[in-house]
Amino acid sequence: MPPGLDALKHIVVLMMENRSFDHMLGSLKAVNQQIDGVDGTQYNLDTQGNQVFVQPLAAFQSQLDPDPDHAFPAVDQQIFAGDQSPTRVATMQGFVQNYFQQQQDVAHSQKIMYYFSADKLPVLTSLATNFAVFNRWFASIPGPTICNRAFAHYGTSFGQVGMNMFYPQGKSIYERLQDAGILAKLYYFDQASSTMEVVNLFQHQPQLFGTYDQFLADCKSGMLPAYSFIEPNYTDHDSDDGEQLASDQHPDHNVQAGELYIASVYNAIVSNPALWASTVLLVVYDEHGGIFDHVPPPACTPDGHSAGPADTQLTYTFNFDRLGVRVPAILISPWIPKGTVVGTDRVFEHASIPATVTKKFIGSYTASTAREQGAQTFLDLLSLDTPRTDTVVFNT
Amino acid sequence: MNEAGNKPASKRRRKAIGLRAPKLGGDFTAIPIHILIPPATAMNKNRPISSLIKAQLLHIQHAESARLPKDKRVGVKLEDIHTEAEAAAYIAAVTRVLHPQGRKRSRRKPRS
Repeated sequence: MPPGLDALKHIVVLMMENRSFDHMLGSLKAVNQQIDGVDGTQYNLDTQGNQVFVQPLAAFQSQLDPDPDHAFPAVDQQIFAGDQSPTRVATMQGFVQNYFQQQQDVAHSQKIMYYFSADKLPVLTSLATNFAVFNRWFASIPGPTICNRAFAHYGTSFGQVGMNMFYPQGKSIYERLQDAGILAKLYYFDQASSTMEVVNLFQHQPQLFGTYDQFLADCKSGMLPAYSFIEPNYTDHDSDDGEQLASDQHPDHNVQAGELYIASVYNAIVSNPALWASTVLLVVYDEHGGIFDHVPPPACTPDGHSAGPADTQLTYTFNFDRLGVRVPAILISPWIPKGTVVGTDRVFEHASIPATVTKKFIGSYTASTAREQGAQTFLDLLSLDTPRTDTVVFNT
Repeated sequence: MNEAGNKPASKRRRKAIGLRAPKLGGDFTAIPIHILIPPATAMNKNRPISSLIKAQLLHIQHAESARLPKDKRVGVKLEDIHTEAEAAAYIAAVTRVLHPQGRKRSRRKPRS
């Protein structure tokens, strides 16, 4: 077994909200041509037929307001520019026209093409260039948060393409690990933010949950579970410790607050040398939030479910055979060579998470979905023979 | 103003939400990366709730109805929740019941 995998005892996943790959990491193409980002030539047509090119003008807050539509029909328009025919091709040309529908404002609609310059996101930029960045990590569904997060927990959304409640027919990764006597936890930020995984897991198995403060304590004490899933703060609210700023980066929450949160999770792990040497951290986003990305989502292994027109609100049935829009994904470990770029020939999505965790800690598991069984896993990226001694740390 | 256009954070704000780089000993070479604290104006507890929070509220109410007898429920109507602060208050109330272990321990030292 490669030494990095042999040393690996903890997998940590931090899932942020609603930003596309090009929006957050696209500028890195200028730093490293291997990174499939933007170069200023990517565009959409606006409602007046003008070309709207990508520009590094993304702001931390108060720009993407109203929140860009990311429900299933909206994402369909973003990807296919309104074409619902059986022979349609994904052109990624519908973002500006879709955003226009929310305010009927041509100038405002063009902001959906804005991306962040690398210097504005020092945390994501540093982690992406020091560790591994995925050129092809997609949302699991061309739709919103809850059904996408379900793929990270269950390897499927059980036929859901929206935000409805559902009761799963299979075991989450946490329950599988629990059955195998292996500790796993979902850490939510605080009680006022809570978790997005309410109806299925939180309601019935609260023992699987912890808080962010507990995550920090577990890192310090070396008591981190084998598998940890971390959620950011979903709202601006008061707490016993004062005001808490939302850190999920969901529009219109402040993007810098999310950078601070990612940095704090990373710092907590790296500050414990034994933990750092035995942990891999995946920072990933649940879906693109309606924001432009230039890479057409590919087809994928269906998971045996389908969603009819009543659910898709379109004219066709969706067979879960196509992925959602590309999202930022960064893998962090001292066992990963500096500057790793995971190429365009390898496609990942949120089912890759339970697939990877199951493979590492359980081994063979036949009860997972076809989609999960077909998903790429990512621990082969821990390829160094000895762990690196160079790294980054963050401070304010 | 700094390069992000943020007013420099006060000492109190820096202490509240700032981050300190860990000191790594041994053979480590750690490059410190400076990051900015969001401005105080980033906070808006009166921000209208997003579709995501609306969905979360429905799910939280479902869990409340399933787990709590009627006389123990928080008794909030979702149609009365409009802001992030209001949503957070209701979510906290139900989460306290579902997961009392998630209560934040007071950092204040007990008076002797």
